[in-house]
Amino acid sequence: MNCLDFRRRLGAEPHCNDADFLRHRQDCPGCAEAQARALAFEQTLRQALAVPPPAELAEAVLLAHATRQQRLRRVYRRGALLALAASLVLAFGIGLRVEARPLTDQAVEHLRAEAVTLTFTQPVTAQAVRDAFASRGLALREVPDGITFVACCPMGRHRTVHLVMSGEGGAVSVIYVVDVRTGAREDFQHGGWQGRSVPLGAGTLILLAQDGSRFDAVERAWRAALDAR
Amino acid sequence: MVSSKQRQFDALVRSLSGDLFRYAYWLCGDEALAHDLVQETFLRAWRALDDLRETAAAKAWLITILRREHARLYERKTPQFTSVDEIDVPEERGAHLPEFSGEENLIRNAMRRLDPKYRDPLLLQVLGGFSCDEIARELKLTPAAVMTQVFRARQKLKALLGGDSREGSVHELP
Repeated sequence: MNCLDFRRRLGAEPHCNDADFLRHRQDCPGCAEAQARALAFEQTLRQALAVPPPAELAEAVLLAHATRQQRLRRVYRRGALLALAASLVLAFGIGLRVEARPLTDQAVEHLRAEAVTLTFTQPVTAQAVRDAFASRGLALREVPDGITFVACCPMGRHRTVHLVMSGEGGAVSVIYVVDVRTGAREDFQHGGWQGRSVPLGAGTLILLAQDGSRFDAVERAWRAALDAR
Repeated sequence: MVSSKQRQFDALVRSLSGDLFRYAYWLCGDEALAHDLVQETFLRAWRALDDLRETAAAKAWLITILRREHARLYERKTPQFTSVDEIDVPEERGAHLPEFSGEENLIRNAMRRLDPKYRDPLLLQVLGGFSCDEIARELKLTPAAVMTQVFRARQKLKALLGGDSREGSVHELP
């Protein structure tokens, strides 16, 4: 390293510790003096740049941080509450919509979801049928013949007993809605299904089939079973 | 209960907020804005604190965040640089040196008048403690360009202090 290289390096990095730099400084008194002056300038420069920070700067930063964290927590909490409220409103709204739909529509939709039950052919025991109704708080006077499926199903917010009765003329789905009684007996057609809605006891008997020719017989059987002639 | 992250953050704020303020002040030239920059820097640093692997690198890491925050507020053009090897080195004279003026205010005024393209790397070196290589990475320049800039920054500063015009003999790149 020569003097020019040293001075260039000195101007760029006064605190340079490079081996060549240090060696030249040792060998060259003029450059050593130049570095001493440069370091003195650096010291003064550093002092001049050391503007005092505002009092309590660290505390102000920490306070701002704490405040922001608190605000974020509040926002998260509020967000969570809003989300919960929105969910409840949504759920309630959906519930109202479901409830606003006719019982027969809900029954058809339920049957679509469980259409496979129409293919069951093995008869279920009378006791299983009695147990299903008993779990809904109802005691059967008798159990109709030909039941090949029975289950206690929710339908919307309603409690039902869902059955399938096989026989000549095809299967008939029977849904007894335990907790709501419709105003009038009616036959209907919905989505390719023939149906009948019958107020029976405290609830509603809904019959669904591709062919409604057996509805009268099935209705009689369930009137007898539920002792609600 | 205070988490270890919070303790680390508190320690960083208490130990480095002063240094960051000084750097921010000379970067933007406004005390209130410097205060805001430091505050915003630490608030951003909190979110990324898990990325800080070495405590020793905290100051450089924070200055980088501060510079980004400042750039976000004040977009600036990247300055053009020449090579340090192209620079003539004039003989120093005692009159150029600030210790003879005895006035730190003169240096501060000179710093304020210094073009940002010279002032920025000098501040990173003097206040940030960055090496030329680190400054080069920070400013996205070559180390040689940084050496040129800090060299010329000192020359211009001394010229402003002493009124010497010989720094004008520095060669520009074609």
